[in-house]
Amino acid sequence: MAFPNVTINKRTTFSQSRRSQWWEHNLRYVFVLPTVLMILGLSLFPLLYSLWVSFLQWDLQRPQTRFIGFKNYADVLRDVRMWEALGHTLFIIVVAVAVELLLGLLLAQTLSGNLPGKRFIMPLLLLPVVMAPLIVGYTWRMLWDTQYGPINQVLGWLIGRPVELVWLANPRTVYPAILITEIWQWTPFMFLILLAGLAAVNPELYEAAAMDGASAWQLFRQITLPLVWPVMALAILFRALDVFKIFDIIFSLTGGGPGSQTETASLYVYILGFKNFRLGYTAAMAYLLIILVSVVITLLWRQLGREQTR
Amino acid sequence: MQLRLMKWVSLLMVLSLLLAACAGASVPAAPAASSDAAQPAAGGAAAALTGSSADRAVEAAKPYAGITLNVTWESGLQAQDPLLFSGPKWEELTGIKINVVEVSFPELYSKAVAEHLVGTGAYDVINYSPAWTGDLAESGVLEPLDEYITKYGAELDDVLPTYRGLMYWKGVNYGLFDDGDTFVMYYRKDWFDDQANQDEFKAKFGHDLVVPTTWQEWDEACQFFTEKLSADGSYGCGIQRAEGQAYLWFMDHFRANGGKFFDDAMGATINDEIGVQSLTEMVNSNQFMPPGIEKWGFIEILSAWMDGKLGMIITWPPIGRWSAGYGTDTEQLSWVPKNQIAGKVGYAVPPGGHPELAGGFNLGVSADSQNKDAAYLFVQWLQSPEISAERVKLQYALRDPYREAHFNDEGYKSLWPEAPQYLETLRKGAETGVHDLGIPGAREYEEALDRAVTSAYAGGDPQEALDKAAAEWNAITERIGMDVQKTAYDEWVSSRAPNVYPE
Repeated sequence: MAFPNVTINKRTTFSQSRRSQWWEHNLRYVFVLPTVLMILGLSLFPLLYSLWVSFLQWDLQRPQTRFIGFKNYADVLRDVRMWEALGHTLFIIVVAVAVELLLGLLLAQTLSGNLPGKRFIMPLLLLPVVMAPLIVGYTWRMLWDTQYGPINQVLGWLIGRPVELVWLANPRTVYPAILITEIWQWTPFMFLILLAGLAAVNPELYEAAAMDGASAWQLFRQITLPLVWPVMALAILFRALDVFKIFDIIFSLTGGGPGSQTETASLYVYILGFKNFRLGYTAAMAYLLIILVSVVITLLWRQLGREQTR
Repeated sequence: MQLRLMKWVSLLMVLSLLLAACAGASVPAAPAASSDAAQPAAGGAAAALTGSSADRAVEAAKPYAGITLNVTWESGLQAQDPLLFSGPKWEELTGIKINVVEVSFPELYSKAVAEHLVGTGAYDVINYSPAWTGDLAESGVLEPLDEYITKYGAELDDVLPTYRGLMYWKGVNYGLFDDGDTFVMYYRKDWFDDQANQDEFKAKFGHDLVVPTTWQEWDEACQFFTEKLSADGSYGCGIQRAEGQAYLWFMDHFRANGGKFFDDAMGATINDEIGVQSLTEMVNSNQFMPPGIEKWGFIEILSAWMDGKLGMIITWPPIGRWSAGYGTDTEQLSWVPKNQIAGKVGYAVPPGGHPELAGGFNLGVSADSQNKDAAYLFVQWLQSPEISAERVKLQYALRDPYREAHFNDEGYKSLWPEAPQYLETLRKGAETGVHDLGIPGAREYEEALDRAVTSAYAGGDPQEALDKAAAEWNAITERIGMDVQKTAYDEWVSSRAPNVYPE
């Protein structure tokens, strides 16, 4: 940072001179101070405060707020509904991210060449990503509607008789409905990242391999995959982290139902914290989830790193 | 010189940024009059208690002219009343502005609590469901109103006895009752009166087709009409079954069958024989309702009913008014499906004879309000006999009759030809109806029950679903405190009798 060249009056007293030097030296910090204070106030303070809250019995239904050590943490670990919610979340992560990766790769591979109409297809493909997940959820809720939804209507046309599937209230169909909605919205994200990865691959490698008689599968397996892998790993991590927080789509499609069969970890935390106001317990649950995610992501990252090294 | 100027400029910038960050919402200065309810205003209560409660509220509120009251209200149609009618009228009379904070029904609770926890004083008047009174009172969200009522003289004597108790928690008034909700059964008179239907029904079931008073009669009538009309897209009956409010229909069905929520030791009994029988009956009824009924909420029922596609429904009072065509030509109700059934609708107390007094509203004052007197005065004025009589007749609003005067109002009775029968049915429902569970943690109990009910609708075993809910209920009771809950429950049962468990 450059400062104006300031000439100090020779008659300035010694103390004035020191003050000026202090200002000159520290002015940059004074400018930065508001931002630092804001960041501390908005992120670090809530983080530390919620950690403190997680050790309290702070529950709207119970009059005394008091320190109870790790009791909230112990209770969370015994909470069957939390484990169920975590199971639902992990199931969605595994299936959704895998399918999104596969479809994203297929699309990226297809559109990485000079496909006619590519200019028009690309923006259309990206539209779902820019929509708010809550809007996506409510839109798809209408699409999945038993009586008036177009999905049952189209299926009915295909099989030649009325279809009355209750997609969102039937345990057998509710997960496919959630997954299709989720995959529809986020596959383009995967596609975009993988397309960037594919664009970075040197085309001469393909030309050389083709001259050596490599098949399409060999080109993909031996050239594309290893070179795109770092980008792909990053995309998997991004999406896995994002799906772990899945809330809006579940909230709008099923509300966690039928019963609590589609309740995810985020939705459960929301219900406990913002509907039931069990603040200490919810804070403890949030911290345990953060720890769990951090461990899983670290392990996953290392594994993906090893794969890359190989 | 340049350096010195820079120093001052930078210092000013930093200070202004800090000040901007720290500055809270400006709070209007309290008027000269006391805001402490315990201290009667100059002139004393005797001088104030002249005229009607509405007039008293207006006169007492005038010194507060210029302030703004922040009032929570359920978003959508409910909020049209303070936005278009009562808010502007109050401002015209007193000079006090009403800022309507529209939030969804569940958020009326969560936002009030959240603002109280951080002490923002963001709201002055709080709309809340009477079932939450225990929670909101115990957690200090609501201001006790007894002293304000004495000071300013609210008129509460002609509020129906069923509803009057809903204003109190442990003998203290925390809000003035403002909405007489009760479930009503609406049925197609033309379908039931049709001679061909009567004959076919008798041939099939061996007895007359009557307006159902039992769940068996309901199922038979529903089955009959569905089998006859479903090819044309019409069905015998429909009830809201989607998650969120599905538990309400279980609560009255269960209690009409003789069920009780807890035993003497405060153990949950929703999973007893009566509970399982009730839920099984409800699941079985679904088979005669439109496909996908498991996800039908208020709007789906309303649309199909107004379109003439359902023979019977059980829901809240406003649908009765709209069914008659009252208010459906207003701009606010332009979204309501075109009415195909005006003049063809009958009203009855739902099967079992003890409808859920589902929801309702109290108007309370926030304990954190900076203008408690003014807030209370607005509440008293809204709920006063003359203003409430106008509000329950607003074409687009959703407040339902709850005072004797509302039910006897000749003006109301002349609004449409069947209005007298409608009012009579509402009154019967209010007299024989059963209240929502009204103890601390009510929302948590209801949420657990809702999950059990929707789980059974999705094909789960009713016994298993209710066992799980009962275990959750016991865990909630244990967490809040067995003694606390037992005391609250006993008081709820005794103070609200006979509208808790029908005799």
